Amino acid sequence: MKNFNLRDFGAGIWERSNRYQRIAIVLLVITLAALLPFAGASFLATPVAAYDAVLVYPVAIFVLMSLGLNIVVGKSGMLDLGYVAFFAIGAYTNGLLSMHTGLNTWEIMPIGIGAAMFAGVLLGIPTLRLRGDYLAIVTLGFGEIIRIVALNVSWTNGPNGISGIQMPPPILGKEFALDDQKLFFWVVLVMILLTIWMIRRLTVRRPGRAWEAIRQDEDAAELMGVPTLKYKIWSFTLGAAIGGAAGVLYAAKNLFISPEMFTLNVSILILACVVFGGIGNIWGVILGGAILGYLPDRIRFISDARLLVFGLVLVVVMNFRPDGLLPRKKREKALIKKGANA
Amino acid sequence: MSKVLLKLENLTMKFGGVTALNEVNLEIHEGEILALIGPNGAGKTTVFNVITGVYQATSGSVTFDGHNLAGRKRFQITGLGVARTFQNIRLFGDMTTLENVITATDVHKKSGLVGALFGTPRARREEKENRAKAHEILQFIGIDEYADRLAKNLPYGVQRRLEIARAMGTSPKLLLLDEPAAGFNPQEKVELAATIKKVRDAGYTVLLIEHDMSLIMGISDRVAVLDFGTKIADDSPAVVQNDPRVIEAYLGVPADAS
Amino acid sequence: MFTVFIDQFWQLTVSGIALGFIYVLIALGYTMVYGVLRMINFANSEIFMWGTFGAIVASRDLFGYNQTSEPAHGAKLALVLFVQLFASMAFAGLTAVTVEFVAYRRLRAKGTNRLATLISAIGMSMVLSEVMRLLTASRPVGSPRILEKVILVEVWGAQIRLDTLITIVAAGAIFIILERFVKLSRMGKAIRAVSMNEDAAKLMGINLNRVITTTFLVGGLATGAAGFFYVTVYEYTKFNIGFTMGLAAFTAAVIGGIGNIRGAFFGGVALGLAEVYASAILGTQWKSVTIFIVLVLVLLFKPSGLFGEAVTQTRA
Repeated sequence: MKNFNLRDFGAGIWERSNRYQRIAIVLLVITLAALLPFAGASFLATPVAAYDAVLVYPVAIFVLMSLGLNIVVGKSGMLDLGYVAFFAIGAYTNGLLSMHTGLNTWEIMPIGIGAAMFAGVLLGIPTLRLRGDYLAIVTLGFGEIIRIVALNVSWTNGPNGISGIQMPPPILGKEFALDDQKLFFWVVLVMILLTIWMIRRLTVRRPGRAWEAIRQDEDAAELMGVPTLKYKIWSFTLGAAIGGAAGVLYAAKNLFISPEMFTLNVSILILACVVFGGIGNIWGVILGGAILGYLPDRIRFISDARLLVFGLVLVVVMNFRPDGLLPRKKREKALIKKGANA
Repeated sequence: MSKVLLKLENLTMKFGGVTALNEVNLEIHEGEILALIGPNGAGKTTVFNVITGVYQATSGSVTFDGHNLAGRKRFQITGLGVARTFQNIRLFGDMTTLENVITATDVHKKSGLVGALFGTPRARREEKENRAKAHEILQFIGIDEYADRLAKNLPYGVQRRLEIARAMGTSPKLLLLDEPAAGFNPQEKVELAATIKKVRDAGYTVLLIEHDMSLIMGISDRVAVLDFGTKIADDSPAVVQNDPRVIEAYLGVPADAS
Repeated sequence: MFTVFIDQFWQLTVSGIALGFIYVLIALGYTMVYGVLRMINFANSEIFMWGTFGAIVASRDLFGYNQTSEPAHGAKLALVLFVQLFASMAFAGLTAVTVEFVAYRRLRAKGTNRLATLISAIGMSMVLSEVMRLLTASRPVGSPRILEKVILVEVWGAQIRLDTLITIVAAGAIFIILERFVKLSRMGKAIRAVSMNEDAAKLMGINLNRVITTTFLVGGLATGAAGFFYVTVYEYTKFNIGFTMGLAAFTAAVIGGIGNIRGAFFGGVALGLAEVYASAILGTQWKSVTIFIVLVLVLLFKPSGLFGEAVTQTRA
């Protein structure tokens, strides 16, 4: 039992499967995830909030944001403590455009993503030259600045926030409804799958190697020809894009946004999800986001002290299990094959 | 005489009040093995750091293959064809041996993030080519059997060789080796000398920092000696070996003459 | 827009200096830990916040003052203020040592990477602020008025109040004591040795863990003293005051050159003044934004600060 390792167990099944078995596994996992909203009557039921609403936010949106933050923190090793800024930018893009124009959620989505990416580049170009802990504190400040701006300028309605955000238009004739959020969950699920596809594509190719090299030894990476600043900005901007997308979805789900939803705490919560699940491992991060998103709604005690628990998670995991639930460690293929033959 | 590949002219490097390099002139010709020797603190690694863009020279110039290197970013210098190894091994420990080399081959790739995301034909082709090229280099250096092992778990000697293989991954014209034999036993040193010769014969130019005299005398075409940041000799190994100034510089710090 | 600034220039200057001295002490907390660990102590802002509660616990629970009590006078006043200062420093000092013990020590022993330590510290910071939020039910806590805010003198229309004067004099004195401690004491020399060259210091037989704990303690004491002055001047605290004060003090430390103790002094005063002037011109709601922009500009254009300390990293 001591040698049991969930990551290696999963990776083992995957490696032993052929192409068709793999497709079957993927379909099975997606189906199970898509069926989650129907499990509300089981032990999964949440006592206070409606179960299907909890599945959308926090669970699915946390998972999405954790995947985004993981590109920055896990893949390229940069501590971004202001991730909430991009979430807020996405949400406010949706709020403002839906208030002033006739655009619907899906039309706003690319604009929201674009705005978040633009902010990412704007913040990234000057600050990504800085060393790790300076980057952390500058991003921390940036996250607060966005909130303070939203609080103090008139065009965001200041502390009153923006209400009356439009519901997304129907998909395939099915309407979105407040009392049944299954459709919304599926929409976020599709976003999550797209994000996983994107991250997997990138990590096995040049960008993934560049990020990995930067994370391990930035100076050596640059001397081996990796344009480090460029790839750091890409990483930061992709993370921002996913945060922005999550923000657009959140505004469309909540129909109301105000500055106090976008405090520093959100950044820390998402960081806790990444760290808890397994920094750098996308399956771990998904698990972390789902568990930490869900538990406070299931167990009431945690709901009051949610941030305290998440802070403790950061300290305890870093001290006793820095790899989180699912470690990122790569296995050595050659050794394992030899071991299997012996 | 063959073409001058790298030229250092009146190169001076000062750190605050300390002069690490003082008016150093050095030429490296295509296809030769030039050894750079000198006692500890003579400024050998500083030369590497200035060439590769880690430091900006206080004055003087570095010209490589017709390009002035001043003000270029480090990865751009690598792209022009200069690659180095590190005295204290600095591999990407959590990557496999193969990935370490592929990461270096990426410097000449045309396709970037967008290509990777959408799997464009060019990106796919380049991935395949680079993988093949990385295996080729590992075979050439003789460590292909370790291709799928994590770099941090490799034996010391293999790590040192991987440093060279990774540098070769960038397809350099000039290879800077910083004490590649550090910590080797005599047998390993002999093997390494053979490898370095093989590298040169494959068309690379090599600039080598080394302490081991027998290794240097065995393989170098020319030896340049630095002492307190000043070049005090630059000639064939036989001549340098008997140069009284060189002997004095080394006797002053006998520990380095090992 | 500028009329307030011009009319009240000297008054603003006096408040700016007092605020600046508070920043100086918090900046010491950042700068000292940075000196030995080459790492930002992310929890320092919360150490400050705990320090402010120390002062209130002392006056309210130890001496039984409440919001309607009469201010103290004479010897009693001196005693209460002294005990409050002591309590603030003790609260913050203890918190700082706890932070080191819980968030840093184990990771240091394992030699893990910086990212892990940063995350551990940010988690610790969250824990400290959340514990206080739960204890105070998210409400601001007023401080009983111990010190009557009498106007001592008026120079060029600037009123110098008793609390301002005490802050400037006492904070200045604490700064000098700490600066001397680091410069002259045996422990102080060990601290400086570690910050110059950790490996060499270890070889010389310096007990690294003890030095680091002491550094956290001294930094915590300074930060705690700042908490006392904050409560004396502003007469309230809340679980979340750490963020803004911390960001400002950190900026002050960077302006002065992080790791540089005297730099922290000039950085703190400069930032205190800049903040008060900027608030008079732009309005207080833009305070944090101004500080943030100053921080980014300093990091970009003068990353070693005005008094020097390398922050960008060049290895190889």
